[in-house]
Amino acid sequence: MIRFDNVTKVYPTQSGPALESLTMEVERGEFLFLVGPSGSGKSTFLRLVLKEERPTSGRIRVAGKDLHRLSNWKVPHLRRRIGTVFQDFRLLPNKTVFENVAFALQVIGKPRRQIARDVPAVLDLVGLDGKQDRMPDQLSGGEQQRVAVARAFVNRPLILLADEPTGNLDPATSVGIMKLLDRINRTGTTVVMATHDQSIVDQMRKRVIQLEDGRLVRDQSRGVYGYTR
Amino acid sequence: MRFQYVFSEIANGLRRNLTMTVAVVITVSISIALFGTGLLIRAQSEATKGYWYDKVEISVFMCNAYSVGANCAGGEVTDVERDTVRETLEAHPEVSEVFHETQEEAYERFTEPLDDPVAEVITPDQLQEAFRVALVDPDEYDGVVSAVAGLPGVQNVHDQREVLGPLFRLLSGFQVGAIVVAVIQVIAAALLIANTIRLAAFNRRRETGIMRLVGASNFYIQLPFILEAAIAGLIGSILGCVAVFALHEVAVSRLLAPNFTFTAWVDRGDVWMMVPWLLLTGVIISAFASFITLRRYLRV
Repeated sequence: MIRFDNVTKVYPTQSGPALESLTMEVERGEFLFLVGPSGSGKSTFLRLVLKEERPTSGRIRVAGKDLHRLSNWKVPHLRRRIGTVFQDFRLLPNKTVFENVAFALQVIGKPRRQIARDVPAVLDLVGLDGKQDRMPDQLSGGEQQRVAVARAFVNRPLILLADEPTGNLDPATSVGIMKLLDRINRTGTTVVMATHDQSIVDQMRKRVIQLEDGRLVRDQSRGVYGYTR
Repeated sequence: MRFQYVFSEIANGLRRNLTMTVAVVITVSISIALFGTGLLIRAQSEATKGYWYDKVEISVFMCNAYSVGANCAGGEVTDVERDTVRETLEAHPEVSEVFHETQEEAYERFTEPLDDPVAEVITPDQLQEAFRVALVDPDEYDGVVSAVAGLPGVQNVHDQREVLGPLFRLLSGFQVGAIVVAVIQVIAAALLIANTIRLAAFNRRRETGIMRLVGASNFYIQLPFILEAAIAGLIGSILGCVAVFALHEVAVSRLLAPNFTFTAWVDRGDVWMMVPWLLLTGVIISAFASFITLRRYLRV
């Protein structure tokens, strides 16, 4: 589903590479934790998958597409097959829960009928049924992140990328979000989650890839967090 | 494509950036008004030329008994000399018509206005017989003048176009001035639009960021901004056109045309002919400026 072949990314303003000769593969339906200290290359990895950045060298394949060959105007179509969740939720404050999720379908031109059908279904899936008319600031942090997950998942992407989705949440709420991501993973969606949250990684026992200074230092199935900050 | 979304975005954008939108509208209207004024002067120039060039002719004055000059050494023009001049003129490709005016005809024309004391003392033989020559293209007078100027019996060749020269130079000077100022204004308008759109894109970076993330096409993301600029440009252009109509009404219809009836003036129909071009210019400049800006600030 995601395949990196000897990928190096150097940002022009930085001295060392953000990623160095990274080779790895994520299979369809896998759940992968990406761990490592700040600046180890986790976010760069996610941005490369989304083709927000181009690798300095090496090849990347995502959902069967060679990103190097993918022309710019086709990038939006790639992103429709990838859902993304962030630490800071990134909801639109002037839209209701329903509108926030519907927005993701509206702007890719989905018909109203499909929006009316899919949005309530995904809100139900993330456990927000009955709250669809709330504004984001009327929700708790965990609920806001559920809205963000619903928005990322409403178009049924092949891949869900999560960049520290529990970073702003307390441990109990984080567990709820992890259960949700696990449920999404069980529908066949590949999940890649970058995180600092040791207890979550240790609990979930999923595949763990550890990066340090842009290099892959550990790739372990059913792994643990494995280092202390 | 969901038009409802696009239009609500445009309305929001125009409202949120009201001061900048107003600035864009004003700048565009001024530049379009100046551009329109340039076109108006050009149309006036054409109208004047068309009117006067129909009347412009070359006068070839023949020697009379009192003439001095190299070609008049033989005194009054002879029949042979006159025929040579006539044949030369009629054979010239740029000449459309030739009229011959005798000394008597010149005298009649001269004495026609009554109460002219000079007419009392003048006699036909003091006047010159002449050929009045109408040209195919009034701009091509040089060749005709040089073809006959040196012939014996020709006292001098008078080109009326030389009289109108300064008028046309003045008109084209005004025209160039108006266009230059218009171009400067258009540049200012384009920069202002670029800034406004950049501000709008910055204000909406949260929305556009999410749109990019969920895979909205570039076209869909940029369309509201481009339409926003185009609408501001359209409003500005309409105001600019109104200004051109007002200028035409005051300067031409009320001030110049009633007082200078001897020449042709641009009418309102000519102004209407310019309107589509002015609107198109305003809209395209605005849309293009925002498009270029967005390429830099809303990249994939």
